[in-house]
Amino acid sequence: MGIAIIGGGVAGITAALDLANSGYKVYLVEKNAELGGKMAELAECKVGLSPRVVEIENHPNIDLMLSSELESLSGSAGNFTLKVSGTTVEAESVILAPGYDVFDNIAKSYGFGSPDVVTSLDFEGMLRASTMSGELLRPSDNKPVKKIGFIKCVGSRCQENEICSTACCAYTAKEVWVVKERYPDIDVSVFYMDIRVFGKDEELVAELKDKYGVKYIRSRVPEVIPERGSLKVKYEDLKKGVIANLDFDLIVLAVGLLPSKTLGRLSEITGVKTDKYGYVETSITSPLETNMPGVFACGTATAPMKVRESVAQASGAALKAAILSQRTEPIPGQEERKYIEVGDEQKIGVFICGCEGEVADSVDIPAVVEQVKQLRDVVLVNGDTNTTKEVLEAIEGGIVDQGLNKIVFAGYTPREYENIFKDAVAKAGLNPYLLEFVNLREQCAWVHDKAEATVVAAGMLRMAVGRARYLEAIPIEQYPVIPKALVIGGGVSGMNAALGIADAGYDICLVEKGPELGGGLRETGELQSGEKASDVLKELADKVASNKRITVYKNAKEENVSGRAGSFKANIVGDGVNEEIEFGACVIATGAKDVVPEGYSGKEVITQAEFGKMLGGTVSANTIAMIQDVGEGVAAKYSSIELVANALKAKEKNPNLNIFVLYQDIKTYGKWEALYKEAREKGVIFLRYENAPKYEGGIVTVFDVILNDDVQIKPDLVVLSTPTVPAEDNERLSKMFKIPLRNGFFMEAQERPKMVLTPVDTVNEGVFICGSAVYPAMIDECMAMSTAAASRACVLLAKNFMETPAVSSVVDEQICVGCGVCVDVCPVEAIELTEELIPVVTFGVATVISGMKKVAKVGDGCIGCGSCASYCPSGAMSLKHFRDRQLYAQLDYAL
Amino acid sequence: MIKTWELDPNFKEEIMKERGGEHLTACFQCSTCTIGCPITEYVPSYNPRKIIQMSLLGMRKEVLSNPDLWVCLICQTCTARCPQDVRISDLLSAIRRIADKEAEAGNIKIDSSRPIFDKAFQHQLEKYGRLYDIGLAKEYYPKREGSFFKGMMAMMNDYKDFGMRMFKKGKMGPKAMFPEKVKDRAVMKKIFEEMGEK
Amino acid sequence: MSVTKLAYYPGCPSDATAIDQDMSTKAVFEKLGVELVEVEDWNCCGAAEVEEPELVYALNARNLAIAEKEGLDIVTPCSICYYNLERSNIALKADDKLRAKVKGIDSSLDYNGKIKAKHVLDVFVNDIGLEELSSKMSKKLNLKVAPYYGCYIGRPPETAFDDPDDPDSMDKLIELMGGEIVPFSQMKTFCCGGPLMMTRSDIAFEMARKILDTAKSAGADCIALACPLCGMMLDGKQADIEKALHVEIDMPVVYITQLLGLALGIDAKELGLNKNAVDTKEILGKVV
Ligand SMILES: Cc1cc2nc3c(=O)[nH]c(=O)nc-3n(C[C@H](O)[C@H](O)[C@H](O)COP(=O)(O)OP(=O)(O)OC[C@H]3O[C@@H](n4cnc5c(N)ncnc54)[C@H](O)[C@@H]3O)c2cc1C
Ligand code: SF4
Ligand code: SF4
Ligand code: SF4
Ligand code: SF4
Repeated sequence: MGIAIIGGGVAGITAALDLANSGYKVYLVEKNAELGGKMAELAECKVGLSPRVVEIENHPNIDLMLSSELESLSGSAGNFTLKVSGTTVEAESVILAPGYDVFDNIAKSYGFGSPDVVTSLDFEGMLRASTMSGELLRPSDNKPVKKIGFIKCVGSRCQENEICSTACCAYTAKEVWVVKERYPDIDVSVFYMDIRVFGKDEELVAELKDKYGVKYIRSRVPEVIPERGSLKVKYEDLKKGVIANLDFDLIVLAVGLLPSKTLGRLSEITGVKTDKYGYVETSITSPLETNMPGVFACGTATAPMKVRESVAQASGAALKAAILSQRTEPIPGQEERKYIEVGDEQKIGVFICGCEGEVADSVDIPAVVEQVKQLRDVVLVNGDTNTTKEVLEAIEGGIVDQGLNKIVFAGYTPREYENIFKDAVAKAGLNPYLLEFVNLREQCAWVHDKAEATVVAAGMLRMAVGRARYLEAIPIEQYPVIPKALVIGGGVSGMNAALGIADAGYDICLVEKGPELGGGLRETGELQSGEKASDVLKELADKVASNKRITVYKNAKEENVSGRAGSFKANIVGDGVNEEIEFGACVIATGAKDVVPEGYSGKEVITQAEFGKMLGGTVSANTIAMIQDVGEGVAAKYSSIELVANALKAKEKNPNLNIFVLYQDIKTYGKWEALYKEAREKGVIFLRYENAPKYEGGIVTVFDVILNDDVQIKPDLVVLSTPTVPAEDNERLSKMFKIPLRNGFFMEAQERPKMVLTPVDTVNEGVFICGSAVYPAMIDECMAMSTAAASRACVLLAKNFMETPAVSSVVDEQICVGCGVCVDVCPVEAIELTEELIPVVTFGVATVISGMKKVAKVGDGCIGCGSCASYCPSGAMSLKHFRDRQLYAQLDYAL
Repeated sequence: MIKTWELDPNFKEEIMKERGGEHLTACFQCSTCTIGCPITEYVPSYNPRKIIQMSLLGMRKEVLSNPDLWVCLICQTCTARCPQDVRISDLLSAIRRIADKEAEAGNIKIDSSRPIFDKAFQHQLEKYGRLYDIGLAKEYYPKREGSFFKGMMAMMNDYKDFGMRMFKKGKMGPKAMFPEKVKDRAVMKKIFEEMGEK
Repeated sequence: MSVTKLAYYPGCPSDATAIDQDMSTKAVFEKLGVELVEVEDWNCCGAAEVEEPELVYALNARNLAIAEKEGLDIVTPCSICYYNLERSNIALKADDKLRAKVKGIDSSLDYNGKIKAKHVLDVFVNDIGLEELSSKMSKKLNLKVAPYYGCYIGRPPETAFDDPDDPDSMDKLIELMGGEIVPFSQMKTFCCGGPLMMTRSDIAFEMARKILDTAKSAGADCIALACPLCGMMLDGKQADIEKALHVEIDMPVVYITQLLGLALGIDAKELGLNKNAVDTKEILGKVV
């Protein structure tokens, strides 16, 4: 049997790969003819998605059912029968990932049909097109765009779609960032109601405002008026107290997300309940489970969310489904591999891929093929492929049939594709270190015009063939994977991760530095679902205690971590214990801490958490001032939600209570918007400030930007939303596990401002992160993330052996622009910027010394984590085998 | 400086009790109504969003005596666009009715002739069941101007060209001098007695 | 054709400032073979000046009840009357208590929520239908028209029968008659200023002028509209606006019923086209 996944968007793809890579049979059902869902339409995103699509297409454990739809479902958990477009599929569990649709009932007042008013989804398409053409052109007359206005909340937080779409604030920031990065001269304004971004996105918005000069203007704009060749937007200038206007030549409407149109039918077929908004109904303590046992849901099918959250849910759902299923398939890469002996005779095969036009459109491939054919030792040049699938087949064929013993591949970036290609080469029987990658797409096709690009491509290939000649097979060492995990932190996330891993059949050491399990949730009274936090904790703790696979160490710490993915060692030191343990994977779930903001003192000043507890008893106050967004630290994702929920409970106890909420942005994202509305309806007053309110002599004074006046309140109780700070231990763990921190919180791997595809993986393979240790989040997100971390750990633990990766970063000094991003992201400070004399190769003619320039230099400390490579904006950094690295250093000058 | 403890926290409930005022508290101050309102171009101080925030805070006096209440066109643009279904147009009407009562009771002064006009209009309906233009003008202008004579002058000023024009086109004949009456006038009286402003 | 008989609610200005609209409405329906039965002894809908909703409901309960007795839906050529009739209808239908309270005033207000109130434009486009209308047209309008909808055709949502921002029922009708629509989208639903005419004529004049100016610079031969208050502002007061604001506009303004009448081959005089304040002779010349 196996697992059926309905929907092949990023969520479905992620779940499929996690399952297939740990030996489960997967049926991936997608109604469209292609995988990828909405993400495939997004600028910048396809780049990250395509390698996964390729992996799926070539995966022996995945039955890909495209252009197919679920017609019926019968049976029960462990024994489902599905009809998929006429085919019968048997599965032990089902994952629903049908995704979302965008709001399309746009009011005509937005531009009265002007072609220059586009939806954000259209705009993503424009950005993708501009990657190729280099220009951002106005649809109506193809003139370069000079001024863009982004209008947020179109089709969200309104009567037709009551809830907040969660993703649009962040994706708008991303779109603006892409615009400003590529076209710094384009003037950008963003019209918004609340800026609902968190963590990294919050920093991005701050940067957009401060560094890029993007104007964020608070107004919900209802109309766009075409006038004399431009688009007029009226907004309320709160400071001046007037209606002002700005002219744009392009308007982007940040359209909201709606439940997938197919979900209604899916719900009928499967019996899975949907909530009043039309999303799959889940609960905040079990966000991946539906009402039907054995049927799980993930991604935007459960609520509007970004890729990061969708992917986390998908990994989590994969584990939930796996636990109900039998592992029946071999795990790829775990088979015995024999490599052909490479003799003295060099047989170099060169494969130049058109990359679905992305290279073929800018590079004259046949011309390059002709030139490369002339090079020494090149026995085969193939320029006929256009997709990854085609080129992979061609390479395998070349090795098997023609005995190629060196492969040069030119096309996609090695950043995301290297492993797929290495794997394919290895499968065909060639040592994977005999593969040389040329990034024609990013480094050539995207940056040069056609004539130039063809010359540059030929030059790049000449160098690559030269290097390939020196490549040597490197024996690959294997070591066994220890089927055991270490979980650090005994809060909800840690406990939940431990339980997930244990249910999948592995032993766990759960280390908690305090005397009790439970973590931050112990400070919480009632959850938003009405459940008591203490009940939820007790249930988890009981399960942990009674689970034979979990060994709990309280008052303990982990020390002296060593080893690598699949085989770590550490000491657990604590109350009377000092034990050495071995484990294959580690989950860090150290949580976060609240801090009480300074500047507000008095016995009537309490925190929201304290207020929450107070709500269990009597609240003796007539007037309460709730202050949000003050103090140093990061605002938790639940900050606004906790606030409105508490305000509502207080109003329920005493409807005559006057509650004033002083805020900057109310961030009740997603379905939580309903709580915000309810709070207003119950009479809670919201006052928006820019400068922190003062509390002196029993009076709160705040300048309400909405009224443009000072407002004073005499509260009996001042309730502060507390910002969060990272757990104290993060610094130490960061050093020990070599995982970088952002503002003290753990950073995920492949971190880029655009999106996060690996939310719980870190640069240190085998070490996973989740919960508030990554970002202080709501309990539903912590549950999903911790299940995801468990899932990722289990994918690793399912393997019998791992191969020793002996890689480190190399800089292509030709391309390096000396920006220094890598220096900042390297967790072990292995990179420095140096000033060097740099020769610039003018291809085919001569070598010219261009003078001094700043370039990055990678030192010996490099652990090969890949952070720098994924962050490097110019693509100058890539991971190479140690030996290659030295080789490169010598060769590039020599050639 | 707004001192909340000096305000009337029950004002919002007072408004919400009126028909049309029910949705007041749903407002999240997004500015949609104000931005799209046609009046703001002519009366820059006009700001329904702000009137709502002041009402929520309980600034009863300031809201009720705000002359801007009386320039709303009841055009419903705001209502059609409000994302929170506040029904601003109806809401402002509810506030105006409270203001009118307060003015009748002598508690505030309204700096607008609109209540005078509306009442004069309603009196025609009460009396005749239909609009009687001349009766309306005869009541409205003197009251607005404070004296019969001044009122007649103002009326002449507004109507001499228009009246002539209508007359020439056969739209205001001698028939228009007399009210068009509903036969069942007793019921009109009853309706106003039961439902009219008290 | 589904409609053959309707109750007709003319509205207060029907025998004075909007007599032309009244004449043309009656003539058009007659030509279309739809019988109009005037609501017996109808009373004023409350216009914009009656603010108390319950008073509006009671006033209109009487009108609705009279039509209900006849078993007929009400049609009216006036946007405000339509808005008041239909919102009262909706409120009364939805609220038993309200209905009882209204009925308690007088038995003649006993309305059971069995009929609908309709705007003439809605009846033309959605009930009779363009196809049917087209089959009866005998003349072509070689006119450039600015279709002006005003407030209550697309708003508020519960009574609206067209798009709130860019309605097009009148556009479709005009195009059907051979007319050309000039670019006018943003003015289509901009309020004419009428409700402030008597209390802030300064604002009302400016607003009406904006509409007239836009039509003029768009090259319209005339403005078409569907409400007597709009007609009063844009047509009746046009000369006053010209005088007060020192501008020259001279933009003919006609009711959609008048245009439709022309296309149906009805005599201009019968449609009251000699009664519009701004001369319509030039337009008539373009009807072939
Ligand atoms: C304009 C825009 C920009 C965005 N930018 C970003 C961004 O920069 N960063 C970010 O994190 N997020 C962004 N998002 C959000 C992001 O698109 C989503 O979080 C993500 O795509 C959700 O993935 P999913 O797999 O849940 O859904 P989807 O991508 O919608 O995938 C669902 C898949 O299921 C298929 N399907 C549906 N019904 C069925 C059925 N019955 N049977 C079989 N298959 C079915 C669909 O065809 C589709 O392929 C953006 C959203 C928009 C609208
Ligand atoms: S507030 Fe919510 S709905 Fe509005 S743009 Fe931001 S994320 Fe989208
Ligand atoms: S790959 Fe090496 S140089 Fe690059 S960030 Fe990681 S450790 Fe540093
Ligand atoms: S449009 Fe509605 S929600 Fe927005 S400010 Fe106006 S009343 Fe409030
Ligand atoms: S109804 Fe009044 S407040 Fe609303 S848009 Fe019209 S004039 Fe403005």
